[in-house]
Amino acid sequence: MSEMPASPTERRTFLGIILGAIGVVTAGGFGWSLFRFLSPVERGGDENQVRLERTLVAVGGAHFFSFQGRPAVVLQPQAGEYVALNAVCTHLGCIVKWVDETQEFLCPCHAGRFSPVGQVLGGPPPRALDTFPVTLDGDDIVIG
Amino acid sequence: MNLAKETMDWLDRRLGVRELMHQNLGGYLLPRNINIWYTMGAVLLAMFVLQFITGILLLIYYVPHTDKAFASVTMIMNEIPYGWLMRYLHVVGSNLIIVFLLAHMLSVLYMGSYKRPRELTWLSGFILFNLGLAFCLTGYLLPWSQLSFWATTVATDAAGAIPVVGDQIIAYLRGGPSVGEATLGRFFALHVMGLPMAFLLLVGFHLFCVRRIGISKPPFGDDYRPTDMPRSFHHDEHPNGVPFHPNYTIKDAAMVFFALALLVAITFFAPWLFIPPDALEPADPFFTPSDIKPEWYFLWAYQTLKIFPSELLGLASQGLAMGFLALLPFFDRGLERRPSNRPLFVTLYLLGILVFVGLSIWGHYS
Repeated sequence: MSEMPASPTERRTFLGIILGAIGVVTAGGFGWSLFRFLSPVERGGDENQVRLERTLVAVGGAHFFSFQGRPAVVLQPQAGEYVALNAVCTHLGCIVKWVDETQEFLCPCHAGRFSPVGQVLGGPPPRALDTFPVTLDGDDIVIG
Repeated sequence: MNLAKETMDWLDRRLGVRELMHQNLGGYLLPRNINIWYTMGAVLLAMFVLQFITGILLLIYYVPHTDKAFASVTMIMNEIPYGWLMRYLHVVGSNLIIVFLLAHMLSVLYMGSYKRPRELTWLSGFILFNLGLAFCLTGYLLPWSQLSFWATTVATDAAGAIPVVGDQIIAYLRGGPSVGEATLGRFFALHVMGLPMAFLLLVGFHLFCVRRIGISKPPFGDDYRPTDMPRSFHHDEHPNGVPFHPNYTIKDAAMVFFALALLVAITFFAPWLFIPPDALEPADPFFTPSDIKPEWYFLWAYQTLKIFPSELLGLASQGLAMGFLALLPFFDRGLERRPSNRPLFVTLYLLGILVFVGLSIWGHYS
């Protein structure tokens, strides 16, 4: 039994379905590549530990550095005693400043105040600054 | 409640979209004997859209600075997930665009579709072709590889053959006496902003011309008769034609997918066709590689400059050839479009292709 040949409309519909299916698969593949392309990339310098020379941090002073891709600060409140903190204010994410005169951190955005160990002293911050572990290795300070 | 129908009704009451769609899709009739070569425009549009998308994505990581450009491209290739895919699609896509631009132009030439009243469509298309070449030239420098640096040095150096003002033109193109930071800055600005804006405006005008004048009937078949240029504006209608949608949109879509398949095949299996070894070395202004050649679509021009006794003559002959092509519809004013009735044109057409291919091959092996 011979079948009737497909009409132009049927052929066009079939081609349309095939092209649509290929389009969906292509868009899916390209969409996934695009998503991965735009995803944050793990970079060097985001190590779990940072090593700094002790001479960078004076007694009563602070030294800002980058730790795991974010601003951080290390202090020496008393000789030989080091504290490392996340320098991002817990209120709205501004970077805190160290004020030598008052020996406290001040957030320039909304005047949040933090003690040298990160505790909230005043202003809108809802919680203390995050702290990082600090160890000493010869003339170096190891954070993280 | 049918949401799609409600949305369409809402839009229709405000913008008359149903009438607009009918005029431009189902009610827009094309000649019955329209062929596959008429899809080149849609293919080129799709390829350019892809170039815009991949170009914007590359901009996220690319750094237009002589100290960092090569490293940023290397990072895109090696560290960014699917960075290699975006870059290869952009590189291979730019080359395929030139192929399809040539195919589009050659088919329009062969079928005489450039003839009046379509002079402006042809002229805007020819300028678009040159913009495509300018995109390629400016984009070529951006990776700041040995190939980029020296190919741009040679390309800009050619302007020095122009009498009196040659050196000033070179300095103006480069932003200094030699290719350097200033060249990268101006090529980058042109590539990502200047050329795209000019391109969009011109594509808009080109499409307006195509739609306003109407699609030309392919000059084949027994019922084809040359038509005279009307005395007043006339939209070329095809009352017994086939609807643009779905009949021709499906054909367009099939050809676009074919072009994408070709693009993906080269991207995956042979990207080195367009990325020679010198493109893998960072630019060194103190060391010229021995085998620097321009991209394949500039080889004919490169070889022309070499075979003429003076560079000025070579440049002048190129300018003459390009000027002649740009203004062809203003010279070629005959009504006849059937290739079989235009032996002189077809002979020159084939000779032109042979000269282009011959010079390119000669340039490649010279």
